[in-house]
Amino acid sequence: MSSEDLQDTDTEARFEFKKEESSAFKTEKGLTEETIRVISDDKDEPEWMLERRLRALEQFQQMPMPTDWPGQPDLSEVDIDEIVPYIRPDIETRGGAENWEDLPEEIQDTFDKLGIPEAEKNALSGVGAQYESEIVYQNMQEQWEEKGVIFCDMDKAVQEHEELVREYFMTKCVPPSDNKFAALHGAIWSGGSFVYIPEDTTVNMPVQAYFRMNSEGMGQFEHTLIIAEENSEVHYIEGCSAPKYSAFNLHSGGVEVFVKEGAHVQYSTVQNWSKNTYNLNTKRAIVEKDGTMEWVSGSMGSKATMLYPCTILKGPGATDNHITIAFAGEGQNIDTGAKVYHNAPNTKSTIESKSISKDGGRTNYRGLVHIADGAENSSTAVECDALMFDNESTSDTMPYMEIEESKVDVAHEATVGKIGDEDVFYLQSRGLDDDDAKQMIVAGFIEPITEELPIEYAVELNRLIELEMEGSLG
Amino acid sequence: MSTQVHASIDEATVRQISEELGEPEWLLETRLDALEALDELAFPDVIQTPGRKWTNLEDLDYEELVDPLDATEEKDQVGPEEIDVLPFAEAVEEHGDLLEEYFGSVVDPEKNYLTALSTALFTTGTVIHVPEGVDAEDVKIRTTMTSRSLFNYTLVVAEESSSVTILERQETAEDVDGDRYYSGITEVIAAENSYVQYGDLQDLDETTYTYSLREADVDTYATTSWIECNVGSKLTKSSVESHLNGDSAETKIVGAFYGHNDQHFDVSARVWHNAEHTTADLVTRGVIDDKARSVYEGVQDVGREAWDTNSYQRENTLMLSDESEADASPKLIINNHDTEASHSATVGQVSEEDMFYMTSRALPERTARNMLVEGFYVPVFEEIEVEELREDLKGRIHDRLQARE
Repeated sequence: MSSEDLQDTDTEARFEFKKEESSAFKTEKGLTEETIRVISDDKDEPEWMLERRLRALEQFQQMPMPTDWPGQPDLSEVDIDEIVPYIRPDIETRGGAENWEDLPEEIQDTFDKLGIPEAEKNALSGVGAQYESEIVYQNMQEQWEEKGVIFCDMDKAVQEHEELVREYFMTKCVPPSDNKFAALHGAIWSGGSFVYIPEDTTVNMPVQAYFRMNSEGMGQFEHTLIIAEENSEVHYIEGCSAPKYSAFNLHSGGVEVFVKEGAHVQYSTVQNWSKNTYNLNTKRAIVEKDGTMEWVSGSMGSKATMLYPCTILKGPGATDNHITIAFAGEGQNIDTGAKVYHNAPNTKSTIESKSISKDGGRTNYRGLVHIADGAENSSTAVECDALMFDNESTSDTMPYMEIEESKVDVAHEATVGKIGDEDVFYLQSRGLDDDDAKQMIVAGFIEPITEELPIEYAVELNRLIELEMEGSLG
Repeated sequence: MSTQVHASIDEATVRQISEELGEPEWLLETRLDALEALDELAFPDVIQTPGRKWTNLEDLDYEELVDPLDATEEKDQVGPEEIDVLPFAEAVEEHGDLLEEYFGSVVDPEKNYLTALSTALFTTGTVIHVPEGVDAEDVKIRTTMTSRSLFNYTLVVAEESSSVTILERQETAEDVDGDRYYSGITEVIAAENSYVQYGDLQDLDETTYTYSLREADVDTYATTSWIECNVGSKLTKSSVESHLNGDSAETKIVGAFYGHNDQHFDVSARVWHNAEHTTADLVTRGVIDDKARSVYEGVQDVGREAWDTNSYQRENTLMLSDESEADASPKLIINNHDTEASHSATVGQVSEEDMFYMTSRALPERTARNMLVEGFYVPVFEEIEVEELREDLKGRIHDRLQARE
């Protein structure tokens, strides 16, 4: 496919627009116990969920801001009190619309510009789209239901799959006490996806969810919970793109993935938050015996991102793969990486990280590999490559390795460099101009990521990066 | 630890030390300022990961460890005639101007708690001055600590187009009661087009805690080569740092360590590229056995103005025992895109395939393993140009392997 075919003249318009916000319900600014009770009450939640929220709020208030990380992004402008934690789009039906046509025109239009209808048509799988803080659209294929697969929004899951949620929700994987923003998330989470795959079931279509922020000074605190039972298989994709605002936004999502014995989960995400968003997420997977977890993530946009998807290899023979790409342009500080804990023998992990920094942006790979005593015959390989465009930009690499077991194979390598003049010359001598040559080299540089994504995501990611390279996204 | 009565860390002690060395007023002031700063200063940076610090320097009772007025040692300080190799007290008399110009110019005396403690309390040291255009070899400093604690200061000034090779060793004499503390600060000024090679073998006994900080200011076309070998001590916190401040400056930092029993080595190699066309090469290899633990940090910092930088780092740790732990954190901080930089770190054990190959050729298992471990160090041996240091290190590694069960 040539780049001509993919060129959408309206790309910019697709990413840069905003909507008048229309909300049925808005909580007061600021965060109090009262706010939490209102949220919980409005959602008609069981008592135990309210209790968990309140406990998380208490932990949030007691915990310090993370400030002592070497070279971390400045979070001093994150003012929780300025964030309206909960907004619900004004739609008739609670819990989403049945069909695309039932959605309000305004919301349809928003998603049109993001290309979601295409994604739906092309991927022919379930679409869970989060507009503001709630899933407003769901489309589940009957064949899934027959197999016992559950894919619904998190609020609905609390009501309809109470036992499962009660067992797994922020109990075993990401407790609210994990960090200040996990605690915040636990207190005011809203929306997100719940995915349950029964034993021996393979969902061969990627499950997709789109997130969207479209309201000044509001946060998004969606929670994704994926439970893959023994020998099941699923590929979950989330994509985010937010238009530019002048007021600052906070995104603090939570992702919990349970990979049971022999199961295989891939979690892919392409994020493009507006340049005033603080993106502070906690994502974690626990992998049992012979299970496999794969994280594929593209981090674009945001003012500052701190995100380190973590995998705990709990059972013997468990595997983890991370593939990440980060892009930082003017004024951006993208601090991202991966954490892997090898807690059992014969576990394997690979981390492949690519980053691009341009026009004074900063990217940082911050990662931890921990091999516990007794995790014999474990192996890990980490590879970080950074591409820099100018000397105003910064590119850092800060890996940490803690190896308590001797029968291991541990390797970490990293490189930093600029685009090779020779490569550019080679392409130019074949008739490409300077910009196209550089774009092509970048597209090649990030190919390990794009080849893991369904075609429309890969196209979107490449296009986002093209726009970033042209500096036409604010 | 038994409580002993000895001088405390206070102004009177510092004044007494300074007076005995016949120091000028400015140096006394520097010491007193460092003493005063102790209350405010943090401990040296150590790596933190979720839930743990890699080295706990705060846990030591320094008041208890140090006995500043009762510092004794045996010291050899030798060098060729055409350069000055002076004990500190003599340097105060003969090279006051040089000291005043350079003391504290590379290592900030108040960089952290332990540097300030060292600045306030040091009683011994060496000043090496290499005049312009002079090539000198075979400068040797051998320190044998005979007391509970010892604070040492070394200054090397290599003038334009000179070269010098320095070999330093630290050991401990017979046992003293309780734990010991050795602290050493080294400043190297490598002027334009000079070449300084500085090798150190730390072989203190395993009741000694040691802090060592070496920094070099490397000018245009100059080169500083560090060789840092850690074999002894109970706990080592060692940092070797080069500031490439002149165009085309170069540095090489070679590190080797071998930890056994419950030794803890926290070693860092850091380089700052502050000018154009600078080059750095960091190579560290270490073995850990028994319950030993190694912590490695390597930093390559490329500044905004450091165009055309080349910077390479590799670190390899070999684990001989399942009880040991190896931690590593190689870091790249890059602020200029006109850079070729890479780092790598590995942890592993003696290869089973190699063992099989050797034992199948009738070598006893133990001999085979020892040969492979000695072979593991070869890339580091090859980087050590000072034969004496290379042979010393080989000997210490060989002894340690022979002593294995």
